[in-house]
Amino acid sequence: MSSWSAAAPAISAAFLASSVEVVEAFTIVLAAATLRGWRPAALGTAAGLALLAGGIVVLGPLLDRVPIDLLQLVIGILLLLFGMTWLRKASLRAAGVIPLHDEDAAFAREVAQLEAAARRRRTRLDWVAGMMAFKGVVLEGLEVAFIVIAVGAGRGLLVPASLGALAACALVLLVGAVVHRPLSRVPENTLKFGVGVMLSAFGVFWTGEGLGVAWPGQDLALLPFAGLFLGAGFLGSLIARRPSMEIVQ
Amino acid sequence: MTMLKEIGAELVAMFLGDARLSLTVLCVVAGAAALIRFADVDLLAAGGLLLVGCLVVLIESVRRSAQVGDN
Repeated sequence: MSSWSAAAPAISAAFLASSVEVVEAFTIVLAAATLRGWRPAALGTAAGLALLAGGIVVLGPLLDRVPIDLLQLVIGILLLLFGMTWLRKASLRAAGVIPLHDEDAAFAREVAQLEAAARRRRTRLDWVAGMMAFKGVVLEGLEVAFIVIAVGAGRGLLVPASLGALAACALVLLVGAVVHRPLSRVPENTLKFGVGVMLSAFGVFWTGEGLGVAWPGQDLALLPFAGLFLGAGFLGSLIARRPSMEIVQ
Repeated sequence: MTMLKEIGAELVAMFLGDARLSLTVLCVVAGAAALIRFADVDLLAAGGLLLVGCLVVLIESVRRSAQVGDN
């Protein structure tokens, strides 16, 4: 059985990252449901979840056939690319260089797209709403699936990481069902900053292990790595916020 | 078909959202791997280089993006 120190980072990274993605998927599904009712939205959501589950069931067992060093290296590199992209954007958002993600604006955009589609083809609006929900669930769900595999597969922690992601889904759906509007009060950029830090730390850890590096303290090395990426993210944000940068812009 | 294209584009954007950042990170990883494979550098030292390289790449990427105003 995995120790808590090994499982906790995977669970928390999967939970936080999945929260962000599920909030975005919920906004799209809610937009479809608001305009066309819950039936097409629920059907699209169910179809998206079925496609994702099918992909995981088919492709998941193949992971066991990949040598662990190669798996750690490939996943580590992908995590570095994914995590550092998130962290870079979160730093730029924190510095005010690019605007914060606005869930209310995203909701309005999705509704406008659906209304435009309604004007074009009136007879198939339920279909359009269902496809919109399907696409949103698949696109955001792909990221959740990658994160769960990435933080869990390297050490046999797929089940704890999946539980973290499922807990995030349950929490977002519960809150969404209660408030019944886009979850715009979720501190999305703070979450993305934190998730970017954690995924980047996992990325360095797995890439190093894939190359044969035995990190001092093993899994505990993730903590100083996360601290360093947090510091780098803040430092980047501070540099980006400097007056000289504003003048250049 | 359009949806497949969108899903493909989303997958690419997940890992290559900023091509320059992605390329530099890959160079850092390749550099660390080359040091281990060809220069017989201590594994932990190469790991340290990987970590520091990624931190420097991140700060530089944010600084550059702020300077040119891209996202």
